[in-house]
Amino acid sequence: MRRKQVILFFLIIGWLSPPAVMAIQRFPKPEFESGYVVPDAQLPLPRAELLAWLDVTVLLLTLSLATYLVLKRRSRMGVFLLSLFSLAYFGFYRQGCVCSIGAIQNVTMALFSGSYTVPLTVLFFFLIPLVFTLLFGRTFCAAVCPFGTFQDLVSFRPVRMGAWLNAFLGMIPYLYLGLAVLFAATTTEFIICRYDPFVGIFRLNASFGMFLFAGLLLVSGVFIARPYCRFLCPYGVLLNWMSQFSWKHMTITPAECIQCRLCENVCPYDAIDFPQTKKNPAGQRKQVNQLILLSLLLPLLVLGGVWTGGKMHLTLAGVNSRVRLARMIQATPVSKDQPEIPEITAFRSSGVQQQQLMTEVATIEDDFLTGSRIFGGFVGLVFGITLIRLIRTPYRTDYLPNRGTCFSCAKCMDYCPVLKDKTNN
Amino acid sequence: MKKKIILVFAIILFLAIVAWMFRDLFTGSPELQKNPYDYGMKELRQTDTVPAYKEVTPLKPALTTITSIATGYDGKIYVAGKGGVDILDISGRILKSFTFPGYATCLTVMPDNTLVIGMGDHVELWDPSGVQISAWQPEDTTSVITSVAASQHKIFVADAGNKIVYQYNELGKLQARIGEKDPSRKIPGFVIPSPYFDVGISPAGELWVANTGRYKLEKYDNDGSLLTSWGEASVTLEGFAGCCNPSHFTILSDGSFVTSEKGIERVKVYSPDGNFIALVARPESFDEGTRGLDLAAGSNGRILILDPLRNQVRVFLPLKKH
Ligand code: SF4
Repeated sequence: MRRKQVILFFLIIGWLSPPAVMAIQRFPKPEFESGYVVPDAQLPLPRAELLAWLDVTVLLLTLSLATYLVLKRRSRMGVFLLSLFSLAYFGFYRQGCVCSIGAIQNVTMALFSGSYTVPLTVLFFFLIPLVFTLLFGRTFCAAVCPFGTFQDLVSFRPVRMGAWLNAFLGMIPYLYLGLAVLFAATTTEFIICRYDPFVGIFRLNASFGMFLFAGLLLVSGVFIARPYCRFLCPYGVLLNWMSQFSWKHMTITPAECIQCRLCENVCPYDAIDFPQTKKNPAGQRKQVNQLILLSLLLPLLVLGGVWTGGKMHLTLAGVNSRVRLARMIQATPVSKDQPEIPEITAFRSSGVQQQQLMTEVATIEDDFLTGSRIFGGFVGLVFGITLIRLIRTPYRTDYLPNRGTCFSCAKCMDYCPVLKDKTNN
Repeated sequence: MKKKIILVFAIILFLAIVAWMFRDLFTGSPELQKNPYDYGMKELRQTDTVPAYKEVTPLKPALTTITSIATGYDGKIYVAGKGGVDILDISGRILKSFTFPGYATCLTVMPDNTLVIGMGDHVELWDPSGVQISAWQPEDTTSVITSVAASQHKIFVADAGNKIVYQYNELGKLQARIGEKDPSRKIPGFVIPSPYFDVGISPAGELWVANTGRYKLEKYDNDGSLLTSWGEASVTLEGFAGCCNPSHFTILSDGSFVTSEKGIERVKVYSPDGNFIALVARPESFDEGTRGLDLAAGSNGRILILDPLRNQVRVFLPLKKH
């Protein structure tokens, strides 16, 4: 009986509460005397929610299809056509939002800030490509991410880059990821969105600066294939990690590699690892010594990173708007002759005491101290591991796609003369 | 070789993009240096039109805060402000001063030289010798009295708080409520977004009201019906610019209007039917941000402009008769 009463109580409350909530009006509506009629309040339409789930469904479908086309059909044409669809749907129709790359920040903020809950659809956008990559490699990059397709379309004259250059530039996404996480965790800013080069183009509302940014990126993309994906994309770092452990990854050849070398130069992203079969005892000894040295150096690099990060925490905290406001207030003398910066005027008229702001800023700077140290340590670790990877030459007999950096785009497959289940010589 | 050059070029370009991102992130967002909401009035304040008036030596009242000006039928200049009234002659000599507690927000002079002074929430009548005759308060609460105009038996009081013009007799008895919103009589009501709401009486005895939210001067008859109006919103000299203008006006003996604006501070003359005639004072004549340029018509075509920021009565003489 008691249980029934409780259920009934909540049902009544649930039934009554929406009109009650809607009835709250914080300020009386202004009475416009110019004949202007205040439009009815627009509540978020149910379709928007539905649309978000439609996006998740389309993501799942396109990822499944991309995986099928790469792993089963080995069809470059299929991948290309699907990538055009993704560009049209996720890019121009959905205007680049929700995007898995930016979702990193939502997820980070939800983890660190108690007051923010990441919408389920955004969480799916973040997780689904990672799960797919863990299972099948980066088929998301191949045909689903609109950014990739956009860059692929301009990659007319890709130039090969050496391993060292690839490794050096390849560290930038780690830096970017670290900063994006740091700023999202401290609720400072979503920098991935701020420097999203293509969203302004998808929405046809890019500022001149962002338009130039995207334009120059695309110009460099004529020669450096997919520059954003390879040397900036922070989500690419996570995909790279997942892909290294992928359960089934695409292969260049459908059967046994015949060392014909036809695929050697076809990957525009330098993602094909060449066979490594030569054994040179002297060189090997030298390499082993270098590896031992670097392994010993690794903790030092991490510690150095932690120390440097700690030293830089005030600079990093300067990106936070509250910190910047406090510094501006401290640096700006109160003068009647000079017009005040609008942020300072807004702050002064908010009624918040300056002391209160300073206390808040001290807490933010403390958070930044911890965060910057972790960020510094992470950068040191990435640097060390990159060096180790460059020196290490694992034994390989075949031409293989690099599991981390290969986008599973299937471009190299067409160059392989080997047919499935038999060789054609 | 060619490939190498291309590669170097592409990499430099890419690194420059990355460097820009980092620089932009750490050197602060550009909005902090520039006010994104800045209306950019500087350009709008500039005009090529040459004023048809020239400024002569301004008059300096004794009051330290002045708010309103009127000329009497005796040719004297009456200036009211915080705590009193100064009476000056055209040369700027102070003929008489008297004080009162409170803050005069507006002032006019009746044909018998009785001073009608708006004191924010009530009206006071004073003898020019400094003796108070009477005082009364509008029946509506939240009154913000911004302007008064008077003939011998009619006193019009503009109340920006209640967006209405009251008509009283000389004894302070309410005779009419003018301009109140009344759809049945097709009176749309006054739109007064800020405390600038001026009234004036033409030489023909007609009541004119500045409906500042609509950028219009409107003429009303005795029973409060809207007879006619003129004026349009525009940053060009022909119209009224900004949020709510004209902030003040006065009517010359030939029925033409002199208007002043805030935002883009400028004073202009319009014909009795509302056509732009001449520029009296250009925005550059005033300190930026000057508001409350009350106006009065002086002798010999002079236009007197009360400049509350400089605490002066600025005098403008016509270059030629128009
Ligand atoms: S699928 Fe082949 S061509 Fe495409 S990225 Fe991987 S290795 Fe390069």
